[in-house]
Amino acid sequence: MSGQQGKWKEEQVLVICPGSQTTLAQLGCNELTLPSHRLPTRMFKDPDTDDYLPYHTYKRKKATAAANGGGDAAKPEDDDEFEYVEDRDSSEGAIYPIQRGRIVNIYHNTPIVLMASPQWTRGDNEIIARFIFEKTKTPALCLMHSAYAAQYGLKWLNMTVVDIGYEKMDVSCIWDSNLVAHKSLDYFTPGLEAGSNVLTKKLHGLLKDKGFTLDMCEQLKKSPLAEVLPYVATAKNCMELPDEDVAAEASAQFAVEAPRINEPTIAASSNAVDAENGIDDKVADEGVLDVANIVTSGNTREFLAKKEKEKAERAKAKHRKAQEAEAAANRPARLPNAKRKTNLFHYEETVHEDVQVPLSNGAPKPESAAPPATNGDGAAAAEPMPKVEGDAAAAPAPPAPTAETVTDVLPFAPEATSSVTERRTKRIRKDIEVGLERFLFVEREYIDQVARLIYNTIQSIPELSKRPDCWNNIVFVGNGSRLRGLKENVLQTLISHYLISPSTATMFTSELPSNMATPTGTGSQTPTGSTSGSLPLGQMPLPTTSSVNPLLQAATTASLGVPGTATADAHASHQSHAQTPTSIKLAQLPNYLQDWSKAGYEEAHFLGALVAGRLVYCVHPGNDMQDAQRLSSLSRVDYNEHGPKAIRKHCLMP
Amino acid sequence: MAQPLTTASVPTDIYGGDEVSALVLDAGYCSTRAGFAGEDVPKSVLPSFYGSIKDTNAASGSRNVFGEDYLFARPDFEIKNYMSRTESVVEDWDTAVQVWESMLLDRLQPERRQTQPSKNGLNDGADGEGDVSMEDAAISAENAENAEKPLAESPLLMTEAPWNQGKAREKAIEIAMENWGCPAFWLSRTPVCAAFAAGKASALVVDVGGANTSVTAVHDGMILKRSIQKSHVGGIWLSNQIRSMFDSSDPKIEVRPSYMIESKVPVDAGAPSQAVLRKLNYELHPSYRAYEDERLLTEYKESVVEVWRGPGRYSNPGNEDLVKTQPGRIFEMPDGSNQMWREQRFRVSEGMWDETAQLPTASEEERITKAQTVPELIRACLNAVDVDLRPNLLGNIVVTGGTSLLNGFNDRLNNELMAMYPGMRVKLHAAGLTTERRFGAWIGGSILASLGTFHQMWISKKEYDENGAGIVEKRCK
Repeated sequence: MSGQQGKWKEEQVLVICPGSQTTLAQLGCNELTLPSHRLPTRMFKDPDTDDYLPYHTYKRKKATAAANGGGDAAKPEDDDEFEYVEDRDSSEGAIYPIQRGRIVNIYHNTPIVLMASPQWTRGDNEIIARFIFEKTKTPALCLMHSAYAAQYGLKWLNMTVVDIGYEKMDVSCIWDSNLVAHKSLDYFTPGLEAGSNVLTKKLHGLLKDKGFTLDMCEQLKKSPLAEVLPYVATAKNCMELPDEDVAAEASAQFAVEAPRINEPTIAASSNAVDAENGIDDKVADEGVLDVANIVTSGNTREFLAKKEKEKAERAKAKHRKAQEAEAAANRPARLPNAKRKTNLFHYEETVHEDVQVPLSNGAPKPESAAPPATNGDGAAAAEPMPKVEGDAAAAPAPPAPTAETVTDVLPFAPEATSSVTERRTKRIRKDIEVGLERFLFVEREYIDQVARLIYNTIQSIPELSKRPDCWNNIVFVGNGSRLRGLKENVLQTLISHYLISPSTATMFTSELPSNMATPTGTGSQTPTGSTSGSLPLGQMPLPTTSSVNPLLQAATTASLGVPGTATADAHASHQSHAQTPTSIKLAQLPNYLQDWSKAGYEEAHFLGALVAGRLVYCVHPGNDMQDAQRLSSLSRVDYNEHGPKAIRKHCLMP
Repeated sequence: MAQPLTTASVPTDIYGGDEVSALVLDAGYCSTRAGFAGEDVPKSVLPSFYGSIKDTNAASGSRNVFGEDYLFARPDFEIKNYMSRTESVVEDWDTAVQVWESMLLDRLQPERRQTQPSKNGLNDGADGEGDVSMEDAAISAENAENAEKPLAESPLLMTEAPWNQGKAREKAIEIAMENWGCPAFWLSRTPVCAAFAAGKASALVVDVGGANTSVTAVHDGMILKRSIQKSHVGGIWLSNQIRSMFDSSDPKIEVRPSYMIESKVPVDAGAPSQAVLRKLNYELHPSYRAYEDERLLTEYKESVVEVWRGPGRYSNPGNEDLVKTQPGRIFEMPDGSNQMWREQRFRVSEGMWDETAQLPTASEEERITKAQTVPELIRACLNAVDVDLRPNLLGNIVVTGGTSLLNGFNDRLNNELMAMYPGMRVKLHAAGLTTERRFGAWIGGSILASLGTFHQMWISKKEYDENGAGIVEKRCK
């Protein structure tokens, strides 16, 4: 058996974690690093054949004029009547094979799938196994449940993995390394969405009137500006929006801000809808939003020659911009984002266009107030922005950061020489002021849904005794959980809704757990002077005067400051509760992997897949573990013998 | 991970049945279980309660949603159940099919629904003749039809209550064969499955479920029809006893499920709640409240209620005094109010054993008679079978069903039986794992359907086509 004797080297193991948007991949698990490759999980249908291509390809009618040449990446066909252009950034016509966690389209560009989502059905897994063994030369395949992968990454024996993805959310409870409960909102729950994409849509709903595109909202959501405010049970919608007065005071240094104070107030307590309208009006009046100054730099013809120079320029510009941005961010009284009514959002956009090169587009970098239509590029790029001219003059925003600009122009076809049609990609930065929408888009219903799913999952563990451990080790993974403040808010919500507090009813009664067989036993119990194992059935031990109730003792001695006694018991104080949760905690994350600590453990499942790669393929097991190791991956020998069905048992799945 | 297999999950392959990809479906009043034969737990467990949302666009004026995740407070929302409360058999067939399809076809999806290249019609050679004999056309049309059926490659084993009626049984095979195109079908009684799950072909099966408790004698894998005993003493009856207890306690304890609470504040035991309530700006259907109440009471049953273990009844003198000296259990309501439960937690469950101890019930139908208590059901069941079989049955009592997980249930049952049948060997078999008790019938079905030797038992599609739905009465006895 190949898996037994000839162990593989750690550098040889290919680790792949497919997600619905991004697939993480890396060759080698010798270093527990961050994923080295991130690929969009998508394929494009070739318009002519039924094959799939990794990039968006489209047909472009070639101009018949002699002046037109072929684009570089184009594949000429039929005597230059059409050309094909690979567009590495476009997602047009993309087929995402994984929707809401579930494979809907089985064609994959990934050679080995290591991590499997719980949504994949048994049939899916078999098809994947078949695909991999038929299309690649891989000697073995280890299919691993994503919750186990996260567990391997975080090394807790008992834990609850909350995986918030793009359009799905999974909650898996692992107890003693076994999956004991799992629930999800995904493909199978149409109409219920808990992934992060639904938030982007919400944000878009709030901001689309102000010219925000979905893409802008996505970026805004990922920026530190978007935030889930702390949970406040008594406040409207359970969040306290930044107070108008504080914000106004903070920005009082700006003369333009001053009138705001006297405007109809938009205090946190007022109706959210009103608040929103209020902002809308004001924004319209003052032209706060949509201040963007788009400047293009570079000229196609001179581009190659200037490339080096530009690089330097760009670096300089970036540096300056960074400084400015920082300064701008800090200037208004250095308030944290959560306390500010508005904040500046730096939006970066990639624009592609086919440029006719003989153009009068020589406009080089006006510093501010660039008229929108000086050249074609600028106009096209400015299109999503309704107002361009209204910058420094009209905007009450701090003047410094308003004028910033195209930083990057990447020609798609670098080798094009005298060609006329050229595809160019630019990054354009805009600064946009965003109001309270950046807090409001995370609605109460969303948080409640997440919290409810966690609660329902953990409470669905059949054995009561397993629930406390799962409540005490909650881990959020998945990039959907990166949203600032989300984890904290969900935790606060769970605590305020569901936490069982220690009861005063037990204060002076015996704290000893019922010694009838109950499923509450968590192991460490308060001392029991009265284990009833030997007592006949139905006869309960009577408390004797000699056995002092430890809690009573604790309560009476606590004021004397006797160390150790009171505190220890206070913590374990409600064992007469069989109810859960009596405590809710996030699991401690490992701190020995610096890269991961810095980047966050949202992709812990990838780390776990690396660890598993080692364990499954590289480590020589002890005698007792050989079977376990053999069953954790499917080797080609076994595949040939048993077919794809063997994946049912040879895998790391529950 | 190579998880340790329990005894219930026998690998399918070693029976040579490596092509078995059978499905097992077990519908109960409280939940419906579905999964692959050969596995040790059902992959998909949904409440048999479902949500009906008013939708003026839909033809029927409403649309249904299935699964616990959907059952949250919202306007124009009603909670219904497709099973019959009193009988634990299907009541609403249209919805039953929807629920089962959402489980079997969507969630489990044994076959990827992808049209085979050979079947999609594009590859049919144009032979130019255009003359296909009618017979061929009929056959190919039929094949094509079957190939498109969602379960064309998965045999299906369904369970049914032992008192299930002929019409319902025929309906089940019709759905499996006509709607889903199953190649093979089998209908098995829940007690038989539960006995199999315990590794027995003959047993006295005591199934204490949500809506019902039934006691059935199983002999050599067949139920003895005359022995079937049924009563509504079950989880829901117990919930009503708890309600009755809450109502009569002073001050009256209000059941307020967590959807009504925004956040709770710790309060002293016995003190009124100070929770921040959630304001709903719409009318909520009472069925939703009832469903949520039931969930809360389930938690109460899990963590507080206990069965007096005996010997003797709880009402015997001295017992309650003894309990009162014992530590109680605290239960905190979602609104934060909490209190200690001591003797009451034994009192609510006593009615299962002693009809005189039951608390007042809301309606007369709820009241149980002496014949409906658990010990009497067993007595009646045994009295209905041949005297020679009784010792064997008493030595093989299989206890299953979620409500049998009440603390102390088995001890009490054992004590009652010893008192009823002195001198006989009484042996209870109750699975230790909670899941094995809750899903006992499903697990038995899973074992049965994965056995290679079971191949010859299935009712095949061909037999069904030849004999019609009536075949199920003849074969699945």
